[in-house]
Amino acid sequence: MKHVAAIAGRELRSFFTSSVAYVVLALWALLAATFFLASVIAFDSEVSRLQQFGAVEQLQLLNLNDHLIGSFLFSMWFVSIFAFPAMTMALFAAERANGTEELLLTSPLTIWEIVIGKFVAGGVFAAIMTAVAAFFPAMLFAYGDPEVGKTLAGLLALFLVSLTYVAIGGFASSLTRNQLVAFLVTLGLLFLVGLMIPQLVVFGLASDALSAQSALVEVMRWIGTGDHFERMLTGLIESRDLVYFGVVIAGFLLLTKTAVESVRWR
Amino acid sequence: MSGPAAAIEVDGLSKRYGDITAVDGISFEIGKGEVVGFLGPNGAGKTTTLRMLTGFLPASDGSAKIAGHDIFSAPLDARRSVGYLPELPPVYPEMTIESYVSYVASLKEVARAERRDAVARALERCGLADVRRRVIRDLSKGFRQRVGLAQAIVHEPPVLVLDEPTVGLDPIQIREIRGLIADLAAARHGEQRQTVLLSTHILPEVSAICSRVILIHRGRKALDQSLDSLLAEQGSLEEVFSRVTAGDEAVPREAGA
Repeated sequence: MKHVAAIAGRELRSFFTSSVAYVVLALWALLAATFFLASVIAFDSEVSRLQQFGAVEQLQLLNLNDHLIGSFLFSMWFVSIFAFPAMTMALFAAERANGTEELLLTSPLTIWEIVIGKFVAGGVFAAIMTAVAAFFPAMLFAYGDPEVGKTLAGLLALFLVSLTYVAIGGFASSLTRNQLVAFLVTLGLLFLVGLMIPQLVVFGLASDALSAQSALVEVMRWIGTGDHFERMLTGLIESRDLVYFGVVIAGFLLLTKTAVESVRWR
Repeated sequence: MSGPAAAIEVDGLSKRYGDITAVDGISFEIGKGEVVGFLGPNGAGKTTTLRMLTGFLPASDGSAKIAGHDIFSAPLDARRSVGYLPELPPVYPEMTIESYVSYVASLKEVARAERRDAVARALERCGLADVRRRVIRDLSKGFRQRVGLAQAIVHEPPVLVLDEPTVGLDPIQIREIRGLIADLAAARHGEQRQTVLLSTHILPEVSAICSRVILIHRGRKALDQSLDSLLAEQGSLEEVFSRVTAGDEAVPREAGA
């Protein structure tokens, strides 16, 4: 694994020499500011509304974590479905297009080193994005007293979702030499895992077609990111959710390794 | 030039794609310090053979050793011993020459403490020292080829494998790159001279640089002779080439150029 740092370092450097990194980061920061503002306004109007009706009990239940930071991070998860396809599309596709795949595969390194190196680069970028998002909830600590633990759990959830999406996007990128194809395939996969499957679960639960306990619903609930993410937003860090992220990441890295290797099967 | 002293040993190497046989049981041996022209028409299987030797493609059959390391049982050691310039130089357009060659040096396991010197030496030898901060995207084809050569030699491998290094260059660039390859071929590693396997379909290139010719045609070895004895016995390289490949046009070519 001694080449991992070299691979990851080059990937990050080229990411920041190309404009993609800045465009993704700028859009991410802009959308974070927008959704944060929207969350603040929604929270504020809720407070005014409850004050107007003198609903003291409900006012006491209202808190910054559940009613502001949570909805902000939930919005950022939604944004990440669009941000990560752009971030990961070049990871492997560019190596194919440049012909540098031949350099990597004829150098004394293993395919795992290539795959892990790229994943580490994506992970570093995901950490930067999480840090940018963290700036907004951090501001609240100057004006109120959100719970530190719950806030950190939410940020960890966002980071783990990001890592998962890096692994999925890297896999899509390893299938093609065309970055646009990689972008669209990733977008499709993230829609499926992030939005469609959770919606199907909601639909299945609402119509009596599937009972809440049916195995299919349980499986879909497990596959979708939503349940795991939301549970962590409430401040619960449970092993079953950590296992979910771990399994999905490991699975997609394995698929990526197989796809990179497949050039040798032709 | 036989036994464990050989730089490259190839024994019955084959590559099949489904029903198509791109390389069909090629065997040869190249001694240390030899500069060998790997000759053949387009589509003869040159690139496929080189890709198997460098570890990019697995062979369907047969075996090969680079500097004594078996490409199947000790692939990393074999790859460590080769400097390889593929047909298209494998460069990242957005990097500078220096940072790119330095990156390749780290991939090829040049120790961190020696990397700076190794990179400077490779750039110097390839005539890139003055332009080392330039971005590869902005370079002419001839200079990209120099960058490709620099990455191939940065770890000072005992064996250099060059795949059609002058294709697509203008006459002046061709002369420069040939001169460069001749210089690299004359280099010494301690007591040992550089071993070079140079694939080409350009005959003057072979006469200019190589001391021995291996000609392959439709995936098979058609000829393996020192350039001197070949010229003495058969006249010119052109005659041999056209005789071996005679009647070729009517026949569909194999895949995997």
